Amino acid sequence: MGTISKIHEMLVSGECSCAELTKSYLDEIEKANPELNAYVNVTPDEAMRAAQAVDKKLAAGEEIGMLEGVPMTLKDNLSTKGIETTCCSKILTGYKPIFDATVWEILKSRNAVMLGKTNMDEFAMGSSCETSYFGGAMNPVNTNHVAGGSSGGVSSAVGGNIAAYGLGSDTGGSIRQPASFCGVVGLKPTYGSVSRYGLIAYASSLDQIGPITKSVEDASIVFDAISAPDRRDSTCKGNVGGATYPTLDNDIKGMKIGIAREYLDGVRDDVREAVLEAAKVYEALGAEIVYFDLPILKFALPVYYIIACAEASSNLGRYDGIRYGYKTAHYNGTHDMICRTRSEGFGEEVKRRILLGTYVLSAGYYDAYYKKAQNLRGTIVKAFDRAFEQCDVILAPTVPMTAFEKGHAVSDPIETYLTDICTVPVNIAGLPGVSVPCGFNSKGMPIGMQLIGKSFGEAQILNAAYKYQQAAPDKFMDTKWGVRL
Amino acid sequence: MVTREDVENIALLSKLFVPEEELDSLTQSMQEIINFADEINKADADEEGFDNINNLSNVFHEDEVVESYPVEEILKNAPEQAEDHFLVRNRE
Repeated sequence: MGTISKIHEMLVSGECSCAELTKSYLDEIEKANPELNAYVNVTPDEAMRAAQAVDKKLAAGEEIGMLEGVPMTLKDNLSTKGIETTCCSKILTGYKPIFDATVWEILKSRNAVMLGKTNMDEFAMGSSCETSYFGGAMNPVNTNHVAGGSSGGVSSAVGGNIAAYGLGSDTGGSIRQPASFCGVVGLKPTYGSVSRYGLIAYASSLDQIGPITKSVEDASIVFDAISAPDRRDSTCKGNVGGATYPTLDNDIKGMKIGIAREYLDGVRDDVREAVLEAAKVYEALGAEIVYFDLPILKFALPVYYIIACAEASSNLGRYDGIRYGYKTAHYNGTHDMICRTRSEGFGEEVKRRILLGTYVLSAGYYDAYYKKAQNLRGTIVKAFDRAFEQCDVILAPTVPMTAFEKGHAVSDPIETYLTDICTVPVNIAGLPGVSVPCGFNSKGMPIGMQLIGKSFGEAQILNAAYKYQQAAPDKFMDTKWGVRL
Repeated sequence: MVTREDVENIALLSKLFVPEEELDSLTQSMQEIINFADEINKADADEEGFDNINNLSNVFHEDEVVESYPVEEILKNAPEQAEDHFLVRNRE
């Protein structure tokens, strides 16, 4: 049984009140957070208020929905009305949005209990959570290792049982990679299935919000709740593929699971073996494994960095020290004020990506980089279309390695970019992808596999993921931290 | 080839100051990233073009006037404000 349904049952049966449950999560945050650094802002007053509202409903004998009263967290780039939202950047310190992100509006209307906001790489730019202005979030499996990024705080909190689930964002792997590192489930939905309204933008044509959870069932419940059309995000069509929960347990006999050989190149042996082992589990479940080539994937990573940085350089132009956030103390003239504010307010990696984005968009380089990358994006989209003529879902590693030790990622930007090699193609093509735990390396660090679906094919990948979880429950581990349900 | 002058120019366009002592290392790091980005020029020329993802199309709304946010709420986040405006001083 998933964490969410378990909590739901506990609340409905009266095994504990929502206030008691919330209090135990808040207590465990206090104990675990100094080491995990998952939360950058804990909101006990809001959490207890929401919990009391649920208890009141229960006391009155009213029915409650599945997500009501379930203690959860939001990545700190999701706008929360009146609650500081910083993107873990100095430049947004003190910023309190005056509106809620659509996803939070939906969950709040269902009486979700938000425990606080979680850590991330600054503006979601990073793969280890260490570019956070507040320092990185640590891995609950082994705190000498990073939680991954950019949604490292959500993954650390969920893996560490100090949130039942959380919402992150994924631009090039920021939900799936930390989920893989922390041994939890992370779903990056199809571009356009979840509203991005209120998500502080990094790269708007790639960004997507999705759940990080302990189980596939939980990811399905949260995805079904948050995927709805929204007139405030014109790219959002909602859950075109239909609810995912009813078909989770469908038989997958005859399902064609594709493996693109390129995804297995250059990944560590233990990761490759774990993924191929999972393929065997699928064969035993009656699925058919189909191998094919996807040579265009070798260009995915540079295409991603060019497009993402170009969009970021434009999106981050709004931080000027005038309307919100940090402003420099000493300056001479408005140009000087804006340059100083940005230079002091942004961290090193953010500045590097703004500069790269400005470079590839500037006269003389636009055609060679940005335009070329956009054209290749079209080629990648079509290559996936053709791949899905041969299979129903694609199985791949989530990350070529397991969680690195702290401090490792900071030293070499290009090497760090390479960790995103298996996750970025999904964002480029706008497809859904879910990372599911599928094993451990020799040091006990979790390995994740990725199931990639057709556009709006969340039901199919979650069905495949759920069947795997049923068949290989030993790959889903627990950690020593947090609340015992 | 990324030069120091390129980086200075790009920084100006990006409204970022790069301290003199960081210019050389940043130029080098930009060069490495650009070399990496240059990989795409090894791709075949017959790219297929790209306009949008998942067949999204334009969404049109009626031009209705809806309630907006109160000015004083919006101004609360500004480092400096005067009456109902953001305040930008030319000097501190």
